[in-house]
Amino acid sequence: MSAIYRWVDERLGLDEILAFAKHKTVPEHRYSFWYYWGGISLFFFLVQVFSGVLLLVYYRPGADAYETVRQITYDIKFGWLIRSAHSWSANLMVLAIFAHMFSVYFMKAYRKPREFGWWSGLALLGLTMVFGFSGYLLPMDDLAYFATKVGLELPAAMPLVGPLITNIVRGGPEVGEVTIQRFFALHVVVLPLLYIPLLGFHLWLVQRHGNALPPSEELKPLAKRRSVPFFPDFFSKDLGMWLIALNALSALAALYPWQLGPAADPLVSAPAGIHPEWYFMSQFQLLKVFGRWFPGATGEFLGIGIFTLGILVWALIPVFDTETRFGKRARIATWIGFAALVGLIGTTIWGYWEI
Amino acid sequence: MNYPFWDVPHIGSVWVIGGIAIFHVLISHFAVGGGLYLPMAEAKALREGRTDWLETLQKHSKFFLVLTGVFGAVSGVGIWFSIGLANPEATSTLIHNFVFGWAIEWVFFFIELTTAAVYYYTWNRIPEKLHLKIGWLYAGSSLLTLVIINGILTFMLTPGGTWLSVAGSGNEASVFWNAFFNPTYWPSLFLRMLVCVSLAGIYALITASRIDGYEFPQLKTSLVRWSAKWLFPSFVLMPLFFLWYLLSVPAASRQLLSLGVSTIGQGVFTQVTRAALVTVMTSATILAVVYNVAWKNARNLSLGWALSVLGLALAATAATEQAREMLRKPYVIGEHMYSNGVRKSEVAKFNAQGYLTNSSWIKVHPPAEATMQPASTGDTSSPTSDKIAIGKLMFRGQCMACHTVDGYRPMNRLLLGRDRTSIMNLLKTLHDYKDDSPYRAYMPPLVGTQPEIESLADYLHLVATSRTSPANSPSLAHAPSQNQERKQ
Amino acid sequence: MSEIEVADFSINAAPEEEPESTGRRAFVKLGLGAVGACYAGMIGYPVYQYLATPAQRAAQTAAVTQTTLEGADKLPAGSAMIFKFGTKPALLIHHQDGTWVSLDAVCTHLGCTVSYEAANNRIFCACHGGVYDAKTGANVSGPPPKPLTAYKVETQEGRVLISRA
Repeated sequence: MSAIYRWVDERLGLDEILAFAKHKTVPEHRYSFWYYWGGISLFFFLVQVFSGVLLLVYYRPGADAYETVRQITYDIKFGWLIRSAHSWSANLMVLAIFAHMFSVYFMKAYRKPREFGWWSGLALLGLTMVFGFSGYLLPMDDLAYFATKVGLELPAAMPLVGPLITNIVRGGPEVGEVTIQRFFALHVVVLPLLYIPLLGFHLWLVQRHGNALPPSEELKPLAKRRSVPFFPDFFSKDLGMWLIALNALSALAALYPWQLGPAADPLVSAPAGIHPEWYFMSQFQLLKVFGRWFPGATGEFLGIGIFTLGILVWALIPVFDTETRFGKRARIATWIGFAALVGLIGTTIWGYWEI
Repeated sequence: MNYPFWDVPHIGSVWVIGGIAIFHVLISHFAVGGGLYLPMAEAKALREGRTDWLETLQKHSKFFLVLTGVFGAVSGVGIWFSIGLANPEATSTLIHNFVFGWAIEWVFFFIELTTAAVYYYTWNRIPEKLHLKIGWLYAGSSLLTLVIINGILTFMLTPGGTWLSVAGSGNEASVFWNAFFNPTYWPSLFLRMLVCVSLAGIYALITASRIDGYEFPQLKTSLVRWSAKWLFPSFVLMPLFFLWYLLSVPAASRQLLSLGVSTIGQGVFTQVTRAALVTVMTSATILAVVYNVAWKNARNLSLGWALSVLGLALAATAATEQAREMLRKPYVIGEHMYSNGVRKSEVAKFNAQGYLTNSSWIKVHPPAEATMQPASTGDTSSPTSDKIAIGKLMFRGQCMACHTVDGYRPMNRLLLGRDRTSIMNLLKTLHDYKDDSPYRAYMPPLVGTQPEIESLADYLHLVATSRTSPANSPSLAHAPSQNQERKQ
Repeated sequence: MSEIEVADFSINAAPEEEPESTGRRAFVKLGLGAVGACYAGMIGYPVYQYLATPAQRAAQTAAVTQTTLEGADKLPAGSAMIFKFGTKPALLIHHQDGTWVSLDAVCTHLGCTVSYEAANNRIFCACHGGVYDAKTGANVSGPPPKPLTAYKVETQEGRVLISRA
């Protein structure tokens, strides 16, 4: 064993990496628990890659799409489990990223020199949601079909370019085989090509700048601050967290298998209360409500406008809140964070309430 | 008025019981295990002169008193309320058989609550030796509550041949002890005791995690490690006792583990197998995480981590409870009463005379006989609202113990796309209950007369077609009940 | 970033009341190894089965390609019999018009055994009310997602030969 290690070490320099990992430290304080969420998101992404490749073994886009998913779910041994794991882990991944984003926000970890970490993280969240949206259509059952139909109302509501973009995405006036084909290309080729380098950049930044301290810790004198080595202390706990994440995923996937509805049929009327996935519910509801208050194009324009403005403010927060301590701007930023959190959860619940 | 066959929309009454029961198990087992932990830790602290341990133990006993005395007791009563509402027949059987058992249970329960309070309030006020004795008295009485309730719980899965031979004769009380020490009594008792000991360790980790490891490194490390050790017995013995338990379960139930068909029609494993595997997996993870985080990094153990371990314990408990409930299917009291409250011995009578006419809990207004005459139009394709109302009552009495209209095990999805004929065929399969019927393994027979079953088919057909025709869907879930209420 | 206290607070420097003995260390290593192996198995087994399904199916199919039913040519018109084709039950139907049809008898929905109903001239699954066409095995109504597999029938003097199409 040690001989093999030495052989590899001489060629790849394992000892240096290990020494580096032992030298690296992670702060230890009452908010340390929130440091794990980025790692949890990463874990679910890896599960996505692994289970996604397995699904690719049997899945065929286009006219066969529903039939192949049906085979995976009912005919192929444990196909239901693989598919279930893929769907559940997608949802858990979005959830973990949201937890990660808000914890980063409230710990003010976006401040200098970590602005690019914040922006690349937001871009990753955006890509993740496109991943979710494009993947949701691929089984082509009735829920997927109608959810995609209503989901495309979001880009369609954009002024001027809306219809143009929607037609390109949809590949025609209606969601159909052509749409599956291009969603498939997007889901398994284009998005991973964008995602993986961006993820690499994001992780490199984390490595470069280390874990940020929350403002309350920064106030403490150096002697009072505590930290643990990344290796083996934090690393072993991180692995423990991954194990817990794996447990949560397996329990959900095994006990609550992802269902497959009847094949999509454009001629059948939509099931009552059709709605997009939960992570699009907030936008969907905003659009719906503004459409109700201001009928016509004004409502759509306002809904989209307010949402775009919100994202813009959210993205530019590192430029606005640059203070290192509890300045006025830092306090405002905290309030914006609470407003965003409450607004997001509130509109989502509101959306489900109205179904 | 929905009482007593309880209509809980979407989640179903099963999950009301399930939710309360899982919460209760998590606390009541801690009450027993923690009862052992406190005096043992106190004795060790006194023996080795660890005064810092005693201060932490005092805090832990307060946490313990509040959690078990308030939440444990309240959730225990909650189980009583919910099972009485959801399955009155089974609850009645349990009361009639075990009234004496419950009397004993309450005696120990009172001792348990009293000693727990006395134990907490007499810290540093009475001699150490006496205080420790109160702790042991608590440990003993709380263990005895488990010893008693375990007999009643295991009875529901395996009542045993002796009891079954006198069931319904009125002489059930004469075989009280046979029913009590039933075939799964001992393995279940030992399994539960292991769970108690593990949970005592996990809850102690929560208290210990709140000690500042930098200010009191000795105290925190020693207490965390000693608490972590409480998970050790489970680590070694759990697999053995689990095997023993499985061997004591009736062969028919055990077969459920390897059965290829499940209610959701997916995969090669049934729900019960999957739930059992989740239990094994989460239990193994608890050990791995506790070793990695608590034992090796004792000083840095944070509250978040201790709560994560408790979360895993919750998942393990929930999966175990689910597996055990599924194992009991299609009965609520093994070989005696089906999961919908119909006794095995009553099936023939209900089939001949009608279910609704005989049910103690559901009454038809106007009387069932009158409504069950063929409708005057003679048109069976458009069921009258009376037939739908009767069908809904059948659903309430015989299906709703496990199914809901549109939530957990929803009929609108399970029956999706079936026409009236195929629904009637399904009901006929359930009614005939032939030996080779694949439903026998987990579903009770459907009882009742032909018109009653026809009405149920009408109602279920309405449920099954509601999803694809949104025009009438918003009113569907309420339409039949409105009819029914109008009549009352 | 403070690195002042790193050395002090790593686990190696943590105050250990009870240093782990080598025996215990080995035992813990064994236990963790066993847990790790369980995880690998729990992930590996489903993945292997998932990937191996087509190969297993092909092997099953190849195992039995033909079966001979002695005396089955005496089956009266308008009736059917169940026989075992390999390990699975199958139907042989002699139709009123004299044609012979053989179909897989396992319902494509949840695997119950189907039966031939001469009166309605259809194949019916009692479990969930699935209906198949008695001539082609096509799924006509009810939950079955796929038709029943049809076999080739060859009637000879004193026997019937069934083979995969």
